[in-house]
Amino acid sequence: MTDTPNGWMLKGSQILLESLINQGVDTIFGYPGGSIMPVYDALYDYADRLRHILVRHEQGAIHAAQGYARVKNFPGTVIVTSGPGATNVITGVADAMIDSTPVVVIAGQVASAALGTDAFQETDLIGMTTPISKWAYQIRRPKDIAWAVARAYYIAASGRPGPVVLDFTKDAQIGMAEYIRKDCNFIRSYVPVPEPTEASLAEAAAMIDSARKPFVVYGHGIILSGAEKELAGFLDKGDIPAGSTMLGLSALDSDNPHYTGMLGMHGSLASNVLTQECDLLIAVGMRFDDRVTGTISTYAKQAKVIHIDIDASEIGKNIPVDLGILGDAREVLAELTRRIKPDVKRDWDGEKAACDAVEKEKVIDPEVSPAEGLIKPGEVIAAVANACEGKAIVVTDVGQNQLFASRYSRFKQSRSMITSGGLGTMGFGLPAAIGAKVAAPERPVCLFVGDGGIQMTIQELGTIMQDGIGVKVILLNNNWLGNVRQWQELFFDGRYSFTRMQNPDYEKLAEAYGITCLSLEDRAEMPAAIAQMLADDRPFILNVHVAEADNVFPMIPPGKSVGEIMLNDKDWFVYGK
Amino acid sequence: MESEKLYEITAYTENQVGLLSSVAGIFTRRSINIEKLLVYPSKIEGIHKFKILARTTEKNARAVVLQMEKRVDVVKAFYQEDNERSFMEIVSVGRFLKERENKQ
Ligand SMILES: Cc1ncc(C[n+]2csc(CCOP(=O)(O)OP(=O)(O)O)c2C)c(N)n1
Ligand SMILES: [Mg+2]
Repeated sequence: MTDTPNGWMLKGSQILLESLINQGVDTIFGYPGGSIMPVYDALYDYADRLRHILVRHEQGAIHAAQGYARVKNFPGTVIVTSGPGATNVITGVADAMIDSTPVVVIAGQVASAALGTDAFQETDLIGMTTPISKWAYQIRRPKDIAWAVARAYYIAASGRPGPVVLDFTKDAQIGMAEYIRKDCNFIRSYVPVPEPTEASLAEAAAMIDSARKPFVVYGHGIILSGAEKELAGFLDKGDIPAGSTMLGLSALDSDNPHYTGMLGMHGSLASNVLTQECDLLIAVGMRFDDRVTGTISTYAKQAKVIHIDIDASEIGKNIPVDLGILGDAREVLAELTRRIKPDVKRDWDGEKAACDAVEKEKVIDPEVSPAEGLIKPGEVIAAVANACEGKAIVVTDVGQNQLFASRYSRFKQSRSMITSGGLGTMGFGLPAAIGAKVAAPERPVCLFVGDGGIQMTIQELGTIMQDGIGVKVILLNNNWLGNVRQWQELFFDGRYSFTRMQNPDYEKLAEAYGITCLSLEDRAEMPAAIAQMLADDRPFILNVHVAEADNVFPMIPPGKSVGEIMLNDKDWFVYGK
Repeated sequence: MESEKLYEITAYTENQVGLLSSVAGIFTRRSINIEKLLVYPSKIEGIHKFKILARTTEKNARAVVLQMEKRVDVVKAFYQEDNERSFMEIVSVGRFLKERENKQ
């Protein structure tokens, strides 16, 4: 697309923008300031080729870039200034690292002659982000820009994706150099996609063929490697049930007959019980987070474990494995599907259905179809999912809103669940929803957010206003930091220390931003309210006053095994009893 | 509890500014004390060698090595008990780089 010929003398700031375009970048989330001004000056001339979205806080920029990247399957791009601009993106860099999200952050930096002198707005961004990024690099010379940008996008997107930080000194932005287009698809010290060994594939196929009760646990890696079809094919041929981590949600159609629901602390009964009942646990593209495993020492002790991952450091990190397969999930699953025998008789015998029946009666029905009382959060999510027929992109913040949304959303299409899993960053939701909508303007984007989390990045309503971004905000307003309140109720003797929260008048707030807002208290009005929200593509806030003291169940309390599950305040399900 | 031993952990790296702190950070996160640290050019041109002596468990030593290898600019990393001596490392790094060159 770019017609700037190789070898032209350009300013560093122009080389940066040419290099971004050369990588396929079309959208930037950013915020200007002193040491990035030459780049902003150059951007002025590139408005026809690079869409710049001005956020209201740099944290908003990086979460928006994360939402964009997760939906678009292409790195999100952030441009900020040095010092406070740079430190404001740090939460998002850490979030992108732990959730394997490709983003490239370009931060201004003081001129190289001033480095180390505590110059105005100088911070050691490389020092601060090295432990939480895939690659952090300081560009000090104009002639290095094209190389560094090419490398940044390659590293961010390849293998196990992650954030890359480019710290860009002001003199390198101003200085001139020949622009020579650069691409990168090889770094000799970096092996993004290891090859699975023949021996490990053969052994895995044999283990799967001889298993009586195999169970698959999968995660984000399925989506990152584009292995959705291969996973479904593998489950079909092997006749194997499968549970998903929170970040794996939407990789399988919610109606897939092999699907058993989400794993872990607030996952489905079936997924957790099958974990303790299987004789072979096949983990694919997941990392055995403690929210998935509960107490490690009792996790799937009865089973042999195969762990398939692209990242060698994950295999055996938390759970001892009988067989590790290093490789890309898509390739490995395709290969295993070819090798395993068809029509192997399994011994699964109605375990899932039995679990589902208990969960429906004890947990789902009371949450999703209560006969009376205030509206419940799960009820709202199920109603929105119904109205969207599972076609919306679901974005969540963190807290009960996230857990209910994970449990009661339905998915028909991959890359449709955008949430902060590993870091659990409150404030992620609103900006991430902006990024998701920018990435997929043709799809409805429904954000489920709590009254606490929305106030952490609420300034991004300004971005929504200015750019007319049609995000549907479903505010599950319970006047509490609900998730913490739940733990205080269950594990801290009901001592509600600083979790009660007074809320602003959201209708007035929305009005100030020119955004339509509807408050909802009456169950009978919910279908009409949701229909109104979804009727057009404009931004909308649905402020739902939900039952204040509702808890998310099932719950595996901290310190328990995944077989010890609370169904509500009184009833437990204990596996094997 | 797995017992702690003295391990010699080595990493072969591209010479990139900032690698020292990133390598050290991997030990800090797991609160492993570094008892000795040496950085010098390896026998392969352009490749640097980190030699680190640390007291830790084998599980940790293995995890640290894998997390070091995960850094983009680290070519390969190894661990062994301090009293073992291996001349295979340099051979293995050389072979790895040859293979990578052929892939390019
Ligand atoms: C930045 C940040 N600070 C604190 C927390 C701890 N935390 C987790 S959930 C939660 C409460 C969230 O309250 P709200 O946003 O109202 O959502 P609810 O649980 O009520 O749905 C808190 C404080 C966090 N995850 N992130
Ligand atoms: Mg709340």
